[in-house]
Formats: sequence, structure tokens, C-alpha cells
Amino acid sequence: MAYNILVVDDSETVRAVIKKTLSLAGVEVGTLYQAGNGQEGLEALKANWIDLVFADINMPVMTGIEMVERMASDGMLKTVPVIIVSTEGSATRIEQLKSAGVSAYIRKPFTPELLRKVVDEVMGARHG
Amino acid sequence: MDSERGEKIARAFSDVFEKLAFMFAEPAEKAELPDDPGDAVLARMRFSGHWRGTLELAVPADMCPEIAANVLGLEPDDETAETRGPDALKEVLNVTCGSILTTLAGDQPVFDLSVPEVLTLEPEGWKELLDSEESLAFTVDEHAVVLRFRQQ
Repeated sequence: MAYNILVVDDSETVRAVIKKTLSLAGVEVGTLYQAGNGQEGLEALKANWIDLVFADINMPVMTGIEMVERMASDGMLKTVPVIIVSTEGSATRIEQLKSAGVSAYIRKPFTPELLRKVVDEVMGARHG
Repeated sequence: MDSERGEKIARAFSDVFEKLAFMFAEPAEKAELPDDPGDAVLARMRFSGHWRGTLELAVPADMCPEIAANVLGLEPDDETAETRGPDALKEVLNVTCGSILTTLAGDQPVFDLSVPEVLTLEPEGWKELLDSEESLAFTVDEHAVVLRFRQQ
């Protein structure tokens, strides 16, 4: 099954790495959307059908956490799973993110195998 | 810098460079590094929360396309590698910062990280960084590199 995926990160390099790693991981991607901050991410979510979001935490204009909180308060967007991809390693932070509605957390740097495992877990849970 | 702390920072940095950019960072004596590496750039970011401080990474400017090419799987002379060089350097710094903070503080404390920036580094700036007690010197695939972790 191909997923429409949104990648939200202020770094073009990171967006390119996630795109490449999705391909290496064998994740079927329908359309890949990209956004440079949380605000652009919300706009992309409202304008397109998106199955899964990868988001960084620290971004200008709107952070990943703020974006997730806005999604959680939106009737439609709250159903879209978000995987945070970040450099931070705090277990406390990860718990905070999950309380805010994040589905999973991947710490950089990550392998294609880990990415695939997390996507399967998140999307598998979604489809029950 | 305390030698144990320095070793932990060096190990975290080397590990990130190897896993993210497929380049090998070896700790070096500061005397081995040039006082003027030619055109150089500085990537810098701040952290706050459990601790406050900055992390800075100085590299020769011509190393950036190589980093980008390795991270993205491109040929070094690919135009994309040239234009994405500074962004790739910021990402190396970003991941290094997260790794160093977790290594030194453990996995419970929460930190807020700033968005990294990249600046041109004048020879005086390189020398100041190299001479700083809080900095560490490396050779990364034969490039001279300086890393400074400052905790306030």
C-alpha cells in the first residue's frame, strides 16, 4: 500500500535524507510532500490527503511540537499519525511528545531498517 | 577541558560523523592543525534547558560539499552537493549536539536546541577557536576540524 507522506524539516538535507531512506527501506510512497516548518506543514496537511507525517522538533516559524498540538485540536488532522525525527535523546522529551499526540519517535542518525520498522508499527497500528 | 569529558565529547562527535557522513574523525593535537586553514566556515548552535551553552564546529569551506555528498549519496562534484554543503554541515552539528548532550547529561534531562547557523570564519576566528581551552581538534578525512562545546 502506498502512503502519501509529508516531511516537515527546515533542513533540505534532512528532507532529502528521509526521502532517500524511505526508498532504501522499501516504504511505498505515493506522493511525498515537503514543508520547511510547522506552519507550512499544516498548510500542506489542509491542502492534501496525507497518510503519515515525519517532523522535526526545532524549526523556525512553528516548531514540530506546536504543529502536533494544532493537529490534535483539528477534527480531521488529529487522525494523521506523526513520527518525530530528531537529534534529542531525552526519554522525558519523548514521553512529552507522545502525550501531545506523537505516534513515534526516531532519533538521528537512523537506518533504513529502523525507519521501516517504525513506519510498519505506526501504520499497522492505524489500520488495526 | 577535563580529559574524561573531552573523550566523551570526542567519541560522540566521531560517532556522528561516521554514521551520518561516513567520514572518520580522529582526535588530533592542536599543534598538528594549521593556524590558518584557508577559507573556513563555522556552524554554531545554542542549547538551553537542563544546561545552557553553545556548540561550534569549524571546518575548511571545501569540506562542506564533501559532507553533503556523503550524507546525500551524491558525487562530490555534483552541483547539489555544492549548494547543500552548509545545510549538511548544520545537520552534522545538530546531530552532534544531541549526541553530546545525551552522552554527558544522560537520557532524562530535556534540552531545547536552537536552529543551527553557518557563518564565514576569518583566520583570527579559527585561531581563537583552536586556542580555546574548551575546544577539541580533529582530522576528518585529512581535513582540519575544530569543535567547541561551551557549557555556561
